[in-house]
Amino acid sequence: MTVRAGLRGAALVSGLTDLLGEDKVLGTREDLLIYEYDGAVDTATPDAVVLPIDTTDVAKLSRFCHQHGVPIVPRGAGTGLSGGAIPVEGGVVVSFARMSRILEIDVANLRAVVQPGLVNLHLSTAAAPHGLYFVPDPSSQKACTIGGNVAENSGGPHTLAYGVTTNHVTGLEIVLSDGTVVRLGGKAVEYEGYDLIGAFVGSEGTLGIVTEVTVRLTPLPEDKRTILAAFPTMDGASETVSAIIAAGIVPSAIELMDQLATEAVEAAVGAGYPLDAGGILLMEVDGLRDGLDDAATRIEDICRANGATTVRRAATTLERDRLWAGRKGAFAAMGRLAPAYYVQDGVIPRTRLPGVLRIVREVAERHGVRIANVFHAGDGNLHPLILFANESELEGVKQAGLEILEACVAAGGSITGEHGVGMEKNCFMPLQFSADDIATMGRVKAVFDPAGLANPGKIFPTPSRCREFQLAARR
Amino acid sequence: MTVATARIQPADAAACARAVAEAAGASRTLRIRGAGTKDHIGDLLPTDAVLDTTALAGVVAHVPADLTVTVAAGTRFADLRDALALAGQFLPLDPPYADAATIGGIVAANSTGFWRARYGGVRDLLIGTTAVLGDGTIARSGGRVVKNVAGYDLNKLFVGSLGTLGVIVECTFKVLPRPPVSAGAHARFKRGADAFAVADAIVRTSARPAALAISGGPDSAWELLVQADGDAAPVARTLDLLDQAARTHGASAQRHDGVPAVLETLNEVSIRAEGTVVRAALPLAAQPAFAAAAARLEGFTQLVADAASGIVRVALRGEDAVVLGGTDALLAAAHVCGGSARVERRPESLRARLGAWGDAEPAGRFLMHRLKEAFDPRGILEPGRSAAG
Amino acid sequence: MTGYPNIDAPSPELLQRCVHCGFCLPTCPTYAVLGVEMDSPRGRIRLMETVWQGRVEVASDPFERHMYGCLDCRACETACPSGVEFGKLMEGARSQIEAARPRSLSERLVRLAAFHFLLPRPAVLGTFAHFSVLSKRFGAAAVLRAIGTRVGLAGRLAALLDLVPDRASSRALPATYSAQGSVRGRVALFTGCVMRAAFADTNAATARVLARNGFEVIVPETQTCCGALHAHAGERGDARALARSNIASLEDLEVDAFIVNAAGCGAALKEYGWLLKDDPAWSERAARFASRVKDASEFLADAGLTAAPGPLRARVAYDDPCHLLHGQRVREQPRALLAAIPELQVMPLVEADWCCGSAGTYNVTQPELSAKLLERKVGHIMRSGAELLVTANPGCQMQIAAGLRASRAPVEVVHLMDLLDRAYAQRGSDTGAG
Repeated sequence: MTVRAGLRGAALVSGLTDLLGEDKVLGTREDLLIYEYDGAVDTATPDAVVLPIDTTDVAKLSRFCHQHGVPIVPRGAGTGLSGGAIPVEGGVVVSFARMSRILEIDVANLRAVVQPGLVNLHLSTAAAPHGLYFVPDPSSQKACTIGGNVAENSGGPHTLAYGVTTNHVTGLEIVLSDGTVVRLGGKAVEYEGYDLIGAFVGSEGTLGIVTEVTVRLTPLPEDKRTILAAFPTMDGASETVSAIIAAGIVPSAIELMDQLATEAVEAAVGAGYPLDAGGILLMEVDGLRDGLDDAATRIEDICRANGATTVRRAATTLERDRLWAGRKGAFAAMGRLAPAYYVQDGVIPRTRLPGVLRIVREVAERHGVRIANVFHAGDGNLHPLILFANESELEGVKQAGLEILEACVAAGGSITGEHGVGMEKNCFMPLQFSADDIATMGRVKAVFDPAGLANPGKIFPTPSRCREFQLAARR
Repeated sequence: MTVATARIQPADAAACARAVAEAAGASRTLRIRGAGTKDHIGDLLPTDAVLDTTALAGVVAHVPADLTVTVAAGTRFADLRDALALAGQFLPLDPPYADAATIGGIVAANSTGFWRARYGGVRDLLIGTTAVLGDGTIARSGGRVVKNVAGYDLNKLFVGSLGTLGVIVECTFKVLPRPPVSAGAHARFKRGADAFAVADAIVRTSARPAALAISGGPDSAWELLVQADGDAAPVARTLDLLDQAARTHGASAQRHDGVPAVLETLNEVSIRAEGTVVRAALPLAAQPAFAAAAARLEGFTQLVADAASGIVRVALRGEDAVVLGGTDALLAAAHVCGGSARVERRPESLRARLGAWGDAEPAGRFLMHRLKEAFDPRGILEPGRSAAG
Repeated sequence: MTGYPNIDAPSPELLQRCVHCGFCLPTCPTYAVLGVEMDSPRGRIRLMETVWQGRVEVASDPFERHMYGCLDCRACETACPSGVEFGKLMEGARSQIEAARPRSLSERLVRLAAFHFLLPRPAVLGTFAHFSVLSKRFGAAAVLRAIGTRVGLAGRLAALLDLVPDRASSRALPATYSAQGSVRGRVALFTGCVMRAAFADTNAATARVLARNGFEVIVPETQTCCGALHAHAGERGDARALARSNIASLEDLEVDAFIVNAAGCGAALKEYGWLLKDDPAWSERAARFASRVKDASEFLADAGLTAAPGPLRARVAYDDPCHLLHGQRVREQPRALLAAIPELQVMPLVEADWCCGSAGTYNVTQPELSAKLLERKVGHIMRSGAELLVTANPGCQMQIAAGLRASRAPVEVVHLMDLLDRAYAQRGSDTGAG
């Protein structure tokens, strides 16, 4: 961990307390320990935690940190899977737990204006009486926050047809690392000038902090059909994905799960997945009621033609909810199989699924680890969950993860589809991008955060932490 | 118009990078030009040379089952359309001047048409960009997979940048299978408000029509045009929904095979209309009032709205003073209701007196200026052309 | 000192189940109110781990503050895909605080009075309840509250008095209720100490409803307090003693089930196996006994009603007791029973699955936070449009009733079994058996 110069320790805490009041600052050793983790495996203890209640607090705090050379790390619900909320270079963690209100549901304009700490699902719940919802539905949507979604450009199963977070944000209020408050966009679909919102969404807190978000709300589909298909092998399941697309059908979701994942999910939620299948596809079509049954039948026929042993359509809303509860609880359900997991998030062109999944199996064998797969097959967005028991295994596990990512990049893909680069994969950026590509991103970083205090140590390879990786790569 | 003294026509990214680096070294300014269908957009200042992108042509990669295509930026949209059609697919954009326009120009000018309603705009479909920055650096962003959050999403910055941040040399898009059925219908209304109300009723369903366009003039009726794409059953239902909604507003909808042709014409209002065209991006619910205000203006000749997205174009014609007054009123109205607007076309006679971007400053302009400086340190790319600088 | 003092500690095996996904955060009432990670389930689990790691001391103030800041409502358990048994972890952690921490004299006196004297002695508790009702009528709460601003203990007593219902019923129940109609089985009613002291009418109603549906009900005299409040407060030794006493006196009864109408007691009785898992002489007996415990609504709905309730024309809302919903995973059965009452209009209640702030003794130990949660609950109830608020646990009943009283909301709080009993009374005695 790089520790920067700048105000630290008790002086920092008392400075922040003077600035914002006791209620909004945490600084005891015990309290800070509890902010050292998020949903993934990396940890680092902050120097202070601040709990702002409005934009003014965030601006004051940012000015203070700018003045004293203190890094700022935003945190939503701490569900992230790439260490985005971990203060790897120390500094202040800004928790948005107390900025979690819906400021406006603008039914006429199909927009909502929310604070960043709002839980994703709470927005859709509040919009439902108006027949509307917020499309991005990451599996953690019961817990993750809209601010976190903006930072990571989160996806989810239903983004196959309807897009990820960046396709649903039209306005932002951001606070730059020097305390400047900037409002971008609004309720219209686009604004003149450069699309700074587009650059900001997915920037993982490295360009500044979001304090208000204007999002699109979308009319709820009139109806849905949810189909489960079980295949003897993962190859059969993954080839079916391409067959469905090749037939000209674009379902709203196509999710794939292997046997190990199924085992965990069944233990956790009893979703009703067949335990003897090598691979399970969970698919959905939605929209107007008309023609949905036909579309579902075509999908089912393709599944059967590709060797599905079980094909089942959810008959009731309850059954559909259960099928989805299984999928969305799948990561956490790994707790049933092992004390810890390390999840990768590589993306590949979907036609390369069978081959890359075979490489994942080889990696598991080579490293003697168990890997469960549960992922967005329609997008080619893999989520290999590498199971392990204790810290001492972590290095080997990360190596296995790296080998999987190398296979993804070699297949023409990406090291991350929705979890973000964070501090977990920043050393891997050169796998996918040239030095010039990364330097260009660095120019954008310098535009927004010349002082380099906005979530440092994320996205960009850092010399101190990436030296080892570079040496390994050279060998 | 512009008097260019030199013309550069690189055939690949490396040549393009060399040419730009050279120009930067000599502080020679460049106009970036494909088919030249967008000369009316933005404030064009004279440049020392024109960088012609049309030699950067051809489909680079297309794996149909991956639903992605990578294409060189100088490729004509029409050529890409033909190539994709062979695989039963399409890039779901309906830009104006589709037959001539190049991919790079479509991205740089954010040439989105009515299909945005169902398929999203350029920013939603572009997943990878290779661009040459103002100092000759070749920078790639995104990639060839449909989902990708590795690093910053620079694709978005190039969309609508009008060449001011870099020369786009290659793009990767999401593509889709062509819909089995595409059908059109239209309805006519006495009042613009009724047309917008019916469009709004459709927007609030999950029908997701491909296009919801409204067109009106000073003496004509207001016409609502709908294109529905998809399987036969939902397409039929969508047109039923239109008819039902139209009936509650004293009209009815008729099937109309000519909808695509009409949409194409409406899409090109900025070049077909004589006079001045203001393009506004508005919050959805602001459209009816904005349209009513536009219709009351002296010199009003036509209004075309993408009612599902809140993009409204208004054409004005008449004495200079009348047009200038009307334009000011429209720009101000767009800002007042929370949107933004630009002058997309004006006669040569007004160019000096009527800037493209109005007086309002885009939010975060200081960041845009810094960005321009960072990507084009010598300021050689399309100087002064965009709202951002 | 590092680590935990004894075997009741939250075990590393149970802690390891947590993969810190954060799904529990939005379901945690204390996290919702306070917004800090230490007062979330995930943060509390992390704190328990840091004790094992030797980074935080079990006897430290922060550890105690965050462990006792928990409602133990177990909403996080329902939300957890990894199957973390949070209730067990929390009771374990609190037991370690009690083992490691010397307490002040006055705290010890209150604990002694409550846990050793009052709760295990139903008759005394009954008297206390009656005294409380009386003192309330004489305005004692107001006096105590005035003193309470200076003396903490008096303030807490005032809070307690606020909860006491205006009428308390503690009369003894008959030893048996015979089944009506064709006999379907025999059950024993666990009467509970608070239920018996203040809600004896509800016990009688429960017995009548069971009898109406063909079950003979016996009311064993030898039962004692279930020990739930002791376990929640970290007094595991006392909880175990009570458990052994209950098992010994009840296990030989020839009944199909032990029926409980207090969710807190039911959850505790169902966990006797865990409570006594380290006692070889008792672990098996405890597990067997626990498997025979059923909540009244669970038992009735699963068995099916054979007697049709009469109509009740009223708008009701159902509030899930935490220890029924999260502690016992009983969700659908109470709703099914409500649906069986003709003409009853069941209104949706927002956050019905949230704690009301009662949480055993939480309303006394953490009055401010408890009041905030109660306020939230009362707001949702008032917005639901219900005239009757139905629940199934005495603590919730007292807390919510106090909250509604304070807000002058014209909503009556009623136990599900009382409501069913009323419905049967509507019907009259002639149609009891089918």
